[in-house]
Amino acid sequence: MAASVSSRRALLRAGSVGTGTALLTALPATAEAARGPRKKSGKSRPKRGKARKRTASSAATLHALSRFSYGWTPDLAREVTKARSFERWFDRQVTGGYPDTFYETSATWWPSVNAAPEEIWARDKAGVETMWDADANYQRWVLARRIHSRRQVLEVMTELWENHLHVPARGEGAALFRAAYGKAVRSHALGKYAELLRVAVTHPAMGVHLDNAVSTKRAPNENLGRELLELFTLGAGHYSEADVRDSARILTGLRVDTWKTWRVWYDPESHATGPVSVAGFTHANGSADGQPVLRAYLDHLARHPQTARTVARRIAVRFVSDEPSERLVAKLARVYLDSDTAVVPVLRALIADQEFAASRGAKVRTAPDDLVATYRALRVQLRRPTGPEAAANAILWQAGDLGTYPFAWPRPDGLPDHAAAWSSTSRFLASLRVHLNLAGGWWPKQDVKHRPHRAWVPLSRKRRSIRFDELVDHLSEELLGRSAPRSLVRAACQATGLKQRSRIDKDHALVKWQMPHLLTVFLDSPFHLTR
Amino acid sequence: MTAAEPRSCCAEYAAAGISRRGLLRAAGAAAALSTTSVFGSAVVSTSFAPPAFGAVRPAGRVLVVLSMRGAVDGMSLVVPHGDPAYYAARPRIGIPAERLLAKDGFFGLHPNLAPLLPLWESGRMASVHATGLAVPNRSHFAAMEAVEDADPGSRERVGWLNRLIARDAYDHPLRAVGVGTSTPPTSLYGARATSAYRDVKSMALAGADGDQGPRRRRSLQTMWGGVDGPLGAGARSAMAAVADFGPVRAVPEQAQHGATYPRGDLASALAGVARTIRGDVGAEVFTVDHGDWDHHSDLGTLEWGSMQKMAGDFAQALAAFFTDLGPLADRVTVVTISEFGRRTRENANYGLDHGHGNVMLLLGAGVNGGYHGRWPGLTDSSDGDLLVTTDYRSVLAEVAAARLGASPAQTFPGFSPESVGAVSSL
Repeated sequence: MAASVSSRRALLRAGSVGTGTALLTALPATAEAARGPRKKSGKSRPKRGKARKRTASSAATLHALSRFSYGWTPDLAREVTKARSFERWFDRQVTGGYPDTFYETSATWWPSVNAAPEEIWARDKAGVETMWDADANYQRWVLARRIHSRRQVLEVMTELWENHLHVPARGEGAALFRAAYGKAVRSHALGKYAELLRVAVTHPAMGVHLDNAVSTKRAPNENLGRELLELFTLGAGHYSEADVRDSARILTGLRVDTWKTWRVWYDPESHATGPVSVAGFTHANGSADGQPVLRAYLDHLARHPQTARTVARRIAVRFVSDEPSERLVAKLARVYLDSDTAVVPVLRALIADQEFAASRGAKVRTAPDDLVATYRALRVQLRRPTGPEAAANAILWQAGDLGTYPFAWPRPDGLPDHAAAWSSTSRFLASLRVHLNLAGGWWPKQDVKHRPHRAWVPLSRKRRSIRFDELVDHLSEELLGRSAPRSLVRAACQATGLKQRSRIDKDHALVKWQMPHLLTVFLDSPFHLTR
Repeated sequence: MTAAEPRSCCAEYAAAGISRRGLLRAAGAAAALSTTSVFGSAVVSTSFAPPAFGAVRPAGRVLVVLSMRGAVDGMSLVVPHGDPAYYAARPRIGIPAERLLAKDGFFGLHPNLAPLLPLWESGRMASVHATGLAVPNRSHFAAMEAVEDADPGSRERVGWLNRLIARDAYDHPLRAVGVGTSTPPTSLYGARATSAYRDVKSMALAGADGDQGPRRRRSLQTMWGGVDGPLGAGARSAMAAVADFGPVRAVPEQAQHGATYPRGDLASALAGVARTIRGDVGAEVFTVDHGDWDHHSDLGTLEWGSMQKMAGDFAQALAAFFTDLGPLADRVTVVTISEFGRRTRENANYGLDHGHGNVMLLLGAGVNGGYHGRWPGLTDSSDGDLLVTTDYRSVLAEVAAARLGASPAQTFPGFSPESVGAVSSL
């Protein structure tokens, strides 16, 4: 991945060298190679490259950015060029080298995002803003951040952990604590899993969601105790029912006065004392203050080899493929344990692994990922919302049409991230709807800046028209970061009824009214719907 | 239908006289002739011809699988009032015997299932109690996968409903439909094409109005015609499903026969199922997911809590569905399933933790009404479960065989079902 961003064809090719895995040898490794056959029919294709500045990234960089950002953009490519390589860009991302301004500013777009729990509750009771709206605003905020934040790796990892340590944002009791929970997860997203786990499990949002907030020694509620073992740490099949019961007992004492005052406190009276034993962790648990036991228990779980595998697999499924190899999971689990549960070394090991390089395009974009990547590709700019129709608010209805609001997955296992879950007819048709709407700039229209259709056509005083196939190639680079393979040129011709050699000037029907139907070709393609 | 690859990629088809379907198939064939290109990691080569779907085949009988997600407490829906341990274990949330409906000496229905009483009394509703996975699995996710894959020991990820629709050569995405969902259940996963929609309106191809239609479809076919993997299959299924969905769109949206659906996701989904059945586009299997029944706290009593509300919504929605269907109801059977049941003893939060055995309900055509299943007797202890006496596959195999003529051996590999008696034989 040494060649980061190229403005030259030669570099583009160089980017594909050195990834000779079994999969890649069977594949034309770059868009350039895939385009080969076009030359046959494109004899009279004019020489190009001098007149037009190229924006496409090397295939390897494009791949890495498709995994560690919410979607390639020319700005992102420039940022990587400036950093001189993807690896250096990644270093700056994980060490806070890029400004977090958007996070701070956008947090003030919705009052509930920075409001204290009692305030959200009071607003709900006063009919100012329901808890459902408070969660909706949180969902809007995370979508806006994914689109515009320059801390892309941090946002990607925050989402991964929020799906892993899932607290649904659905307007239920946890809504009072949901934004605070998201912020807490974010602050540990690039740190140590042991700390993240402690913060998440003991957070009132989690307590309310998985019933631990009302669990007492009288009959400990098993909900959180079980999911802690199954989802957050050891995984199914690696704990017993006796483990679940003791896990639930250790967790008793963390209380929230639900649906009354929402007071959060530790109640020694509620804590179930007496010896506990869970997956190799034993403790006399003799004191009414169970917090030290809980801390030791969570530390034990975080450093358990089985937890290392759970975390390694979760990360590999997100960044490599739906079925990462046993070898890769074991390797990442080892790094995780060696680095005392620190996450960044795991990510570095993953990026350096050949399985990562070989997994180009192997992931299907989830519906929320598609929505965000579409805003980014089309360079739609959200502005501070001034009403319900504002794009930063209406974007949530687009997410709903695609099948899910962010963090609204109804089950504790969080949003699925495998191809079968996102390949339904329903999802495909909804994606096409959202793409076309945004490509047209038709909706949402308020407090948002859509790129004018003319701006997509590189015309100037010197260059008054452009051949259609060149325009398609240009758009492919601008929207997808790669030159257009033959199939895409064909599809663009078919979608518009134009010929490859049609000449497009500023008054052409394509520029005047057909651009949405052309732009959506790129967004509806496998290149945009996979990553 | 045959088609040569157009000379130029931009040549217009002589669309006159070619049906939408024909055009789609022609475009598919054209895509199959194109040279190698790469979509993500998928290689599209000249030798691969994407399968084209034929015309729809009208469905005869219909099976609707309603999944009650989160593990519903079956003992609140079909109450074993004759087991003294039930009341001992549930001093606060147990449902008083005198309030039960359709009561016999042992069982009775939750009072809020009242809208379903006409079905029950006409012998078209049955319950099978103490069903589930043979081995307890208290993980929602692992249990759901196991229940819907229904092929223990196999590493292939193929759902039982996908095996069910693979019993003959007819392959069309509208044969099995997930309604109300974008992420279909595991039961539908597999090689046979299936489809999913959130509502009837959403089953449409954006940007295909008027003149743009044929262009749009050809363009999409070029991009997706030969893409490997679930997403490629989903894209092709979507295009075929949209093309053949016209009759459903033509069915008026209003419920028929005086049916009134309540508000809510379940009712909307069932209204969509009824409309799709009426449109008769060959759909013989529907899945509807409904949750969240994971009542660790505030399951509540008859006066308050989640159960009384959700049971009422559930019953109203199903009753409206059968009313809406009218005479078509004679073709439609509904079976409910949940990943597992809940604990016998209530917890301190007016709720129930994860258990094992559960109830399955069957409604509609071919159902042999009444209470079925062997009751194992309850134990009132903190980890006491309703034991499983009937493998859930026996119930599903019976309904699939009796109603759709499916072979239990093919649908549930390696499993020998026992007779349950909840569905009349052919």
